Amino acid sequence: MDFRGRLLATLQAIAPVLDVPDVVVIGSQVPNLLQPDLASTLVVSKDVDIGVPVTRHGAVKEALRHVRALHPSTEEPSVWVPVDPLLLEVNFVGMDESIDDTEETYVLEDAELPLMVFGALSLVRPGGTVAIEGTRIRLPRVAGLLLEKLLTERSGIKGDRDLLVALALIVLAADADLDEGVGAYRLLAPHLRHAVRANLSALSLMEPVEGMPDPRPQRARVAALLRRLDGSEPRP
Amino acid sequence: MNVEALHRRARQARARAQVRRWQYRQRHHAQGTWHLLARLLADSRAVFVVSESESEALGSEGIAAEAVGAMLEPPRTIRFVPEARIARLESRREIPVRLGPELLAARHLVLSRFGEGT
Repeated sequence: MDFRGRLLATLQAIAPVLDVPDVVVIGSQVPNLLQPDLASTLVVSKDVDIGVPVTRHGAVKEALRHVRALHPSTEEPSVWVPVDPLLLEVNFVGMDESIDDTEETYVLEDAELPLMVFGALSLVRPGGTVAIEGTRIRLPRVAGLLLEKLLTERSGIKGDRDLLVALALIVLAADADLDEGVGAYRLLAPHLRHAVRANLSALSLMEPVEGMPDPRPQRARVAALLRRLDGSEPRP
Repeated sequence: MNVEALHRRARQARARAQVRRWQYRQRHHAQGTWHLLARLLADSRAVFVVSESESEALGSEGIAAEAVGAMLEPPRTIRFVPEARIARLESRREIPVRLGPELLAARHLVLSRFGEGT
């Protein structure tokens, strides 16, 4: 089974969860699913992140009782691991729209499904859906996820991966998505806008990483977005 | 269930946020200089090392040096130059667009900017 098949089979396996309103696929699989025919050629990780609004936590726990092909990891309580190794791990992450501080992080304690809740995910809004063989998959709006990826402070391979996801989103974004992203960027605190621009600069200078798409051919797009963000900065 | 692992990760995330705020406050110091240099490079389609005499000639033609070059020690002259003019620089030697040893060893750099043909 190729990666696309593994990804789609995993999403079908958790279909009851994806049926819960406002639950979205987030993270590195979003660019794969935004490609025509869900081509999934922008593979940068071997797991699937699912954004769970804290207001839907109870409904997601109920839906998980109908999932048979995965079970909770004993080591990582918010991760579900597949029974069949051809499927991918699923990582559940909390989203709290009521968080004002995008740098806030907290743990939603729960005996069944505890969640890390990241404030930056409050920028993510549910977007359109794609369907595969009867399973509807809700994706986030590109603009919010792009900003979240450019804000999340990480290092090493994980950080590189987030920046490559951001790059894939830039490549796939329509003009309207970028307009929306610039608008949301203007509402961020100054140090967060600085972090976004610094991460875009780092993305522009990133060397190819084995097993990940080469970012260098897209440097002009990154430069164009940086110019737009600079142009939207408040005048001193 | 090992919820402590999640709390540990949350503490790490909060610590990284603190570091980011500190880096922003330091942006006018060394941290900021690196950011400005990276920002120039992000705008650059290509980077060339040139001789001191050709760099000075560019200056006398009115092509200003970028301020970040003077913040480095030793100082560098870094100029955005139209590509047609770069093509006439005899000493030009293209180097990779990155914060690497070739760039850091150079004293005089010219950059071609994305979106500016000639």
